[in-house]
Amino acid sequence: VTPDSNKLLPGNSGLVKLVYLNLMKTFLRGLALSLLPLFFVPVARGVDPAPVHTSDVLLSTMQRELQRAQAKLGQLDPAPYFASYSVYDQQGTVMVGGLGSLLNSTQFNRRTGEVTLRVGSAALDNTHQESRPSGMSSGLVPLEDDPDAAARVLWQLTYEEYRQAAQTYLNVKTAAAVRTQEEDTSADFAEAKPEVHVDYAMPAFHLDRKEWEDRVRRYSSNFRKYPEIYSSAVMVVGEKTQMRFVSTAGAQLATPGTIIRLMIEAETRADDGMELLRVETFQSATPEGLPSETEIAAKIAKMASDLKALRAAPTAEPFDGPALLSGRAAAVFFHEVLGHRLEGHRQRGDQEGQTFTKKINQQVLPQFLSVIDDPTLRSLNGMDLGGWYQYDDEGIPAQRVDVIKDGILRNFLMSRMPIKGFAQSNGHGRAQPGLMATGRQGNLIVSSTHTAKDSEMRQKLIDEIKKQGKPYGLYFEDIQGGFTLTTRSLPQSFQILPVLVWKVYPDGRADELVRGVDIVGTPLAALNRIEITGEKTEVFNGVCGAESGSVPVSAAAPAMLFSEMEVQKRAHSRVRPPILPPPSWDKTTAAGLPTSDFGGQR
Amino acid sequence: MIRSAKNLALLSVFLLATAVALSAQNPAAADDPVLRAMLAEMQRSKSQLKLADVQAPYYVDYRLMDVDQFVAEAAFGAVRTSLRTRIRMLRIVVRVGDYKQDSYYGQGEGVVDVGPLDDDETGLRHQLWLGTDRAYKAASEALTAKQAELKKYSVDQQIDDFAHASPVQFVRPLTRLEFSPEPWLATLQEASGLYKTDPQVQSLNASLRFTVTNRYFVSSEGSVVRTGDSLYLVFVGGYTQAADGMRLDRSHGYQVRQMKDLPAKAEVLSRTRGLLASLKQLRDAPVSEEEYRGPVLLSADAAAGLVSELVGPNLLGNRPMLGQNARTLGDWANNYKSRVLPDFLSVVDDPTLTSFEGHTLLGNYEIDDEGVKASRVSLVEKGQLVSYLLSREPIRDFPNSNGHGRASVTGPPISSLGNLIVQTSDPLSTDDLKKKLIEACKQRNLPYGYFVQTLGPRLTPRLLYRISTKDGHEELVRGAVFGDLDTRALRNDIVAAGKEFNTEDRLDPIPQSVVSPALLFDELEVKRGDTAKQKLPDYPPPAGTE
Repeated sequence: VTPDSNKLLPGNSGLVKLVYLNLMKTFLRGLALSLLPLFFVPVARGVDPAPVHTSDVLLSTMQRELQRAQAKLGQLDPAPYFASYSVYDQQGTVMVGGLGSLLNSTQFNRRTGEVTLRVGSAALDNTHQESRPSGMSSGLVPLEDDPDAAARVLWQLTYEEYRQAAQTYLNVKTAAAVRTQEEDTSADFAEAKPEVHVDYAMPAFHLDRKEWEDRVRRYSSNFRKYPEIYSSAVMVVGEKTQMRFVSTAGAQLATPGTIIRLMIEAETRADDGMELLRVETFQSATPEGLPSETEIAAKIAKMASDLKALRAAPTAEPFDGPALLSGRAAAVFFHEVLGHRLEGHRQRGDQEGQTFTKKINQQVLPQFLSVIDDPTLRSLNGMDLGGWYQYDDEGIPAQRVDVIKDGILRNFLMSRMPIKGFAQSNGHGRAQPGLMATGRQGNLIVSSTHTAKDSEMRQKLIDEIKKQGKPYGLYFEDIQGGFTLTTRSLPQSFQILPVLVWKVYPDGRADELVRGVDIVGTPLAALNRIEITGEKTEVFNGVCGAESGSVPVSAAAPAMLFSEMEVQKRAHSRVRPPILPPPSWDKTTAAGLPTSDFGGQR
Repeated sequence: MIRSAKNLALLSVFLLATAVALSAQNPAAADDPVLRAMLAEMQRSKSQLKLADVQAPYYVDYRLMDVDQFVAEAAFGAVRTSLRTRIRMLRIVVRVGDYKQDSYYGQGEGVVDVGPLDDDETGLRHQLWLGTDRAYKAASEALTAKQAELKKYSVDQQIDDFAHASPVQFVRPLTRLEFSPEPWLATLQEASGLYKTDPQVQSLNASLRFTVTNRYFVSSEGSVVRTGDSLYLVFVGGYTQAADGMRLDRSHGYQVRQMKDLPAKAEVLSRTRGLLASLKQLRDAPVSEEEYRGPVLLSADAAAGLVSELVGPNLLGNRPMLGQNARTLGDWANNYKSRVLPDFLSVVDDPTLTSFEGHTLLGNYEIDDEGVKASRVSLVEKGQLVSYLLSREPIRDFPNSNGHGRASVTGPPISSLGNLIVQTSDPLSTDDLKKKLIEACKQRNLPYGYFVQTLGPRLTPRLLYRISTKDGHEELVRGAVFGDLDTRALRNDIVAAGKEFNTEDRLDPIPQSVVSPALLFDELEVKRGDTAKQKLPDYPPPAGTE
């Protein structure tokens, strides 16, 4: 996976581990003298202090310092024509448990300040093409509302950012004069109406540390029942964010956001060494919205039985034929295969494959399919959507975008970086704190007008198998995630990582679980083989990683029947399963009796 | 495969017997669930871990580091970070082969995992079980890979891969991190808030790190070790720019082993004021000459920095890459029994010391991370290199560990410094050293000599003075670097050493201290550094509300 790939991680092969390892890295970095950018203070903010922004010390400090910077730097040559300050206040808790014991429990509070400067003019500035990172400098801002210290940090970031932006602008100007004209001559910065909206209504959820540590212990102890699960973890992450944004154009924003996520991960290994992983993710705006303890236990039992079945399942053979994707699987498929290619900035980069750039107003999907990205939705059919936000990270209001209407490409997901034919942002400029925003997905929702009852979709698959005279077809019940490559230098391809795939036979034989399947292929071809969809929309919440960092997203779609889907065998490790039984299942030391059918010497 | 029940029954009797023997040997271990879990899983690994057609391990060790840490940072009078974290890291090493040749190579050097924070035997044993399995398989493959690699080289002298060592049983009480953060956060805030006293200071930070580490170590040879230690660090640092754009840095760190030895707030504040004053002096100081070649005196503080940079690493008995015949990796690989320093200097490393002439030493420990007792090692005697610091990885002529195999939280044990002490047979007072410096300059018709008060990173002088040959007047200068300060200069150019000592403490990755007297060099090159100068900020700092 190259840094250019775009990943959706609900997660992808070990998200819990991934997030956890990042946590570890942060911790270990703390052991070196560079101190951790994290802090805990009791949450003092109430539910809804009146939104009087003048009383917000931090916002008014940002405003004052920005004006001072504008006045002083505006006299220089080259002068910035636009500047903005953002501060992200993140408060959160991470708890990880394994087999009934706590592996980690950390509470953090961090304020990240960003200074954005654009030097030159909107037509050509320091953020042009690959110089985009020169538009921002970021650093830690004091946790308490100390105006002097906050002003001083912003000043420091600003003069450092100006040095970088001014130098880069000179290079950009020279390059523009020396090189041939670019294909897309759009400006570097879109005009936008400055928004003023101040909302401090941070939802007052509270994850009681002791209570949730005990829950994480109890939930994870369920795995003690399953000796065939080698490795497991339960993680709870709760985070509240308050974003503040001011710009020299007059924007002034304060918007809250929250997310609580519960992830369960379980891993085993087949006898041939193939790693098998199941991940379940739950998301809610409040702790009460998470599943009950009984539901969790049932979910873990299901994960364990899935994995047990997968260990025994045969490996899949390369296959090209009809396939049915569940709604969740189809949602991930659309996020990877279509969504990333509709991100605005991918239409103008010299390095980008630009699959859809010149397909505006052309048919790119079957006529019965439409796709919107709507970050203004908090939920869909009663399910929380992770890609919800009020304003994007460039201070533009979130908007519903009809990207594909009746199969015809109409629009892209736009940040304030214009592209040919699309001069404005549509509120999809997103980034993790500290990185420059690009066009990103929020809630990508696929809808269909050619549907069958979900209960009939299986029969439709069998009909298609028979029609094509294939020995079997595939049913993709669940997917871990995937990644996609959109650059020119590498094949325009995607890979989806399914975890539960069934062979469906046309002759009435029972479905057969297979393991080690990867969907492969090229985007345009794959999308046009959708025959019909189910009626019920399913939601997949995840964390999406790309150039501008990790952002929470949702993808939603109905089940889909593909006339043709190409799958390949997944490369896997050949490490044997553990030699000895797990300690708690080893009866030899206690009773001198042989243990389960587990492992053993071969 | 189904094993015969008779064999299993026999095996279990044997296991039970050894388990009883182990806990009888270690009464303290029996009370500690962490050690109990480690011993139980060790027993299983020792007696049962084996793949068909693959050798069983000949050695296994488990290490658990339980780290409880509080970090905080303040800048410009406000706290930006304050975080308490606790983590348990496991490291598991399985060796296949024998002491002469084993699998400790590449992926065979052990596995690392996160351990449960609760004293839960089931959870910990589960992690150890998985890690041991992984480590054993990796070790088996590593041994084959190593043997294949060795076939490419002709080896002059066969050196063992792993030194024998007697097992130790050593269980100390656990250490805990107990303190109240508020007064410390207030100290950091006040210290970093002193930036207001000088508008030209661009950055002023104060930070702290309090760490308590409890180490557990169990080996298949029978070692059972539990030790705890603590480290408290308070740090202040800032920088400014001279009118010509040169960046000037100053910092001060307090590193102690006991909380009671930490400085009071007043001391931190007065030290910070001192740093600010010296930043101002540096800003106003003239830039050093383009080039100087002549006598240079390093204060004990600067000399300790120099020794830790140039002497310490060359005393480590780290084995070179497979197939290379050198003795160690350092500059002194071929200097065994030859002169590396002037004959009035000697060097020892003594981890058994907790302090030296009132200075806290950070390299104090009783048992190293391979279960070997710490011991004082004489390294350089009258200028001659007589030994290296050794872990259980032998090097040519040194088949045994001398208790210097130390590890970072997740890293492998490697030969490391403890408390390195430079001693002189002919100590001179600071005044006498300065007199000697002036004399030497006079002999060479130099108008001044250099005196280095403190060094920054990469041996760059931070406080450097010109001492006038005529009247002994000292003048601060900035912007100088050393031209040729290397091990050859240590051997040939040191002409005298001081009476007073200072220490250089290094915390990462492994805490250690270096103690040195002042050192006078007969000749060194001091030249103007050519680092790029950033322009000054384009507009003044915010005025502030007060």
